[in-house]
Amino acid sequence: MSEEAKKNFVGALTARPTSDDQKQAPALNVPPKKVIIKSADMIPDMQKEAVDIAVAAFERYNVEKDVAEQIKKEFDKRHGPTWHCIVGRNFAQYSQLAPAQYYKVGCDVDIQGSYVTHETNHFVYFYLDQKAVLLFKSG
Amino acid sequence: MSEEAKKNFAGALTARPNSDEPKPAPVPAVPPKKVIIKSADMIPDMQKEAVDIAVAAFEKYNVEKDVAEQIKKEFDKRHGPTWHCIVGRNFGSYVTHETNHFVYFYLDQKAVLLFKSG
Repeated sequence: MSEEAKKNFVGALTARPTSDDQKQAPALNVPPKKVIIKSADMIPDMQKEAVDIAVAAFERYNVEKDVAEQIKKEFDKRHGPTWHCIVGRNFAQYSQLAPAQYYKVGCDVDIQGSYVTHETNHFVYFYLDQKAVLLFKSG
Repeated sequence: MSEEAKKNFAGALTARPNSDEPKPAPVPAVPPKKVIIKSADMIPDMQKEAVDIAVAAFEKYNVEKDVAEQIKKEFDKRHGPTWHCIVGRNFGSYVTHETNHFVYFYLDQKAVLLFKSG
């Protein structure tokens, strides 16, 4: 279980580390963090790539802008320009809303909070623990 | 002062309403809301346009997606595609935009990011 506690930057970028315990990881390749793909128009391999890069960025940076920058630049490099990335969180301020509304606007960068045009097959929106990440290609 | 309390949709889109009182408005054309341009690479007229459209959208809609949609579509129509708009209270972003087509501002507590790319 000590394997789980570690937040090794290199580890986040390589294949999933070998583990002797029998615990099954619900999120692919990223045991320490809960990953939820909320909406995607992107091939699975690229989705996984986005999540892996985001995990690494969150481990390295604290400021959301830096995380977004890292993700965007990496995708511009790997899959050609032009990508855009928005990272954010704001659940507390919506806790007083009715349950249905809470879900709908669970995060300020929820799909409900953005209106973007993106190229087909180049859009993903996911949660990493409490942070929302919106990544899309347009341009 | 009752003029100030009103949130007239039409008023937000037209020229600043006449006022008999001597009080100077710190923010042009939008007295009821505090506007702060945090960062801009956009001509002043277009900036003002973005703010006016945003004010109108916030008065008309409650859901941030609808506000963002309104702003994006209006700019696609007036200044050609493709614009992107993000509205919220807590987000960081990193985007590439066309020269002279980027603005990031606050309307009271809400942040609005608007840029052209594509």
